[in-house]
Amino acid sequence: MVILLSLKNCFQLHYGLKIPAAGFRCSANSGLIIQSVSSDIYQNLAVEDWVHDNMTLEDRHVLFMWRNSPTVVIGRHQNPWQECNLKIMREKNIKLARRRSGGGTVYHDLGNINLTFFTSKKKYERMENLKLVVRALKALRPQFDVRATERYDLLLNGNFKISGTAAKLGRTVAYHHCTLLCNADRFLLSSVLKSPYKGIKSNATPSMPALVKNLFEEDPSLTCEIVMDAIAAEYARCHKIDHCITLINPGDETVFPGINMKTKELQTWDWIYGKTPKFSIRTCFNMVYKQSLLEVKVDIQVKHGRIEACNIDLPEQWLPPAMCSELEKNLTGSKLCPSETAALASTLLRVCPQNYELHSKWSLLCETVMTLM
Amino acid sequence: MALRALRRVAVSLAPRCPGRGGPFPSARSAWPQAAPARSLGTSALLFSARKFTDKHEWISVENGIGTVGISNFAQEALGDVVYCSLPEIGTKLNKQDEFGALESVKAASELYSPLTGEVTEINTALADNPGLVNKSCYEDGWLIKMTVDNPSELNELMNEDAYEKYIKSIED
Repeated sequence: MVILLSLKNCFQLHYGLKIPAAGFRCSANSGLIIQSVSSDIYQNLAVEDWVHDNMTLEDRHVLFMWRNSPTVVIGRHQNPWQECNLKIMREKNIKLARRRSGGGTVYHDLGNINLTFFTSKKKYERMENLKLVVRALKALRPQFDVRATERYDLLLNGNFKISGTAAKLGRTVAYHHCTLLCNADRFLLSSVLKSPYKGIKSNATPSMPALVKNLFEEDPSLTCEIVMDAIAAEYARCHKIDHCITLINPGDETVFPGINMKTKELQTWDWIYGKTPKFSIRTCFNMVYKQSLLEVKVDIQVKHGRIEACNIDLPEQWLPPAMCSELEKNLTGSKLCPSETAALASTLLRVCPQNYELHSKWSLLCETVMTLM
Repeated sequence: MALRALRRVAVSLAPRCPGRGGPFPSARSAWPQAAPARSLGTSALLFSARKFTDKHEWISVENGIGTVGISNFAQEALGDVVYCSLPEIGTKLNKQDEFGALESVKAASELYSPLTGEVTEINTALADNPGLVNKSCYEDGWLIKMTVDNPSELNELMNEDAYEKYIKSIED
């Protein structure tokens, strides 16, 4: 039976966890199960950071369960331009987050469950955690064909990925987190996890595309709640603790002192985009202007998410060379960001001759360059 | 401040003094003369055999510059390194500060500075060849070079024998 405890009934989490079995209604001698009430990716990632930085887990483990509103989450050393379709994401208000663990890019929505297994560094064991999840699923639906691979994926029916894994090893604490597709929007997943950007050369860690499936497609009676409950039950059984889940509010500073600062940091442009490893974009565009096809060559170097150097090659005399080099000069140092580029472009337009033809060529060029971002 | 200036002098002098044990030319420094330099703390800042931290980083100091990497035990435990995230040159680090991360098939693992100092160089070969950390963790797979601001911190680190014993104890 699941007893969902409101945190009001427990001592402050960080004290309770440091003093064995103090103050909790369920005995948490060697394990604790927490579930976030928030669906905000940044708040939930901040919980992971907080536990990683503040807890000592020598003799206890923690399972953290969380779900998010539509978000794409990239790995620590990945390149968002290489991994996802930022344009669609902006249109559909899908957030972008960079996590601190390694691994590849995933799509989250409320039909996806995230599980984080916190242990001491010594007790870090991804396969054991995944076997736990498999046992939980098989206890729910014995007919399911679910297994863990060497890459720490979970496959359904031998070839559909339902879970991906990533991990972080810190000073004394380690965490292994994984996704679990229950009833996520697969159509949206495929479209946002496909990058439209060409010509990117980068040494960022790449993702491995895979065929995916939801558990719901195998059995429509399964919901996220049922699955989370089964996993919590299996975790409780393994750790010989009570099957009770503590609800946590990641915005509560009294329970997680300092967490709001961590949340803020995860939302900054400098973290999400600025941490992208150095890369270059070298590509050719075809612009259509008055029924003629024009070739534009672009060569951009990007460091910390900002344009370090850029070169735009246009057909001779299509635009006054001075204008083109003004654009290149102003782009240098600015963020690789369409709204920043648009602002820059309109500012430059104001200082150039008021000529309709020139303006329309300029707008076309800038729009073309913005499609890179 | 003066100490730092002296160190820079020492660094630029060292290549010209074939035997590092010689005292500094008196015209150039206000540091009290004492020979041999080996017996002073300054000898540690000029040169130190490889020392290890309990987080499995190593540092060896030559001409006042420390080269930092991870130990063989660490690279084996990590598995194949796929990405090295290193700091910018000029970054100031305190002992035990996080200075970067290595991503491997196993996880993203943080790197901790063995000493207090400033980053002077990073191993750019690792950008295209992160596997060097596995193949040659003590030579070509070095991570950063840094100044040694507090040479006494070296005494807090383990020498090779002590580190071997340490690994054995944690493996049990």
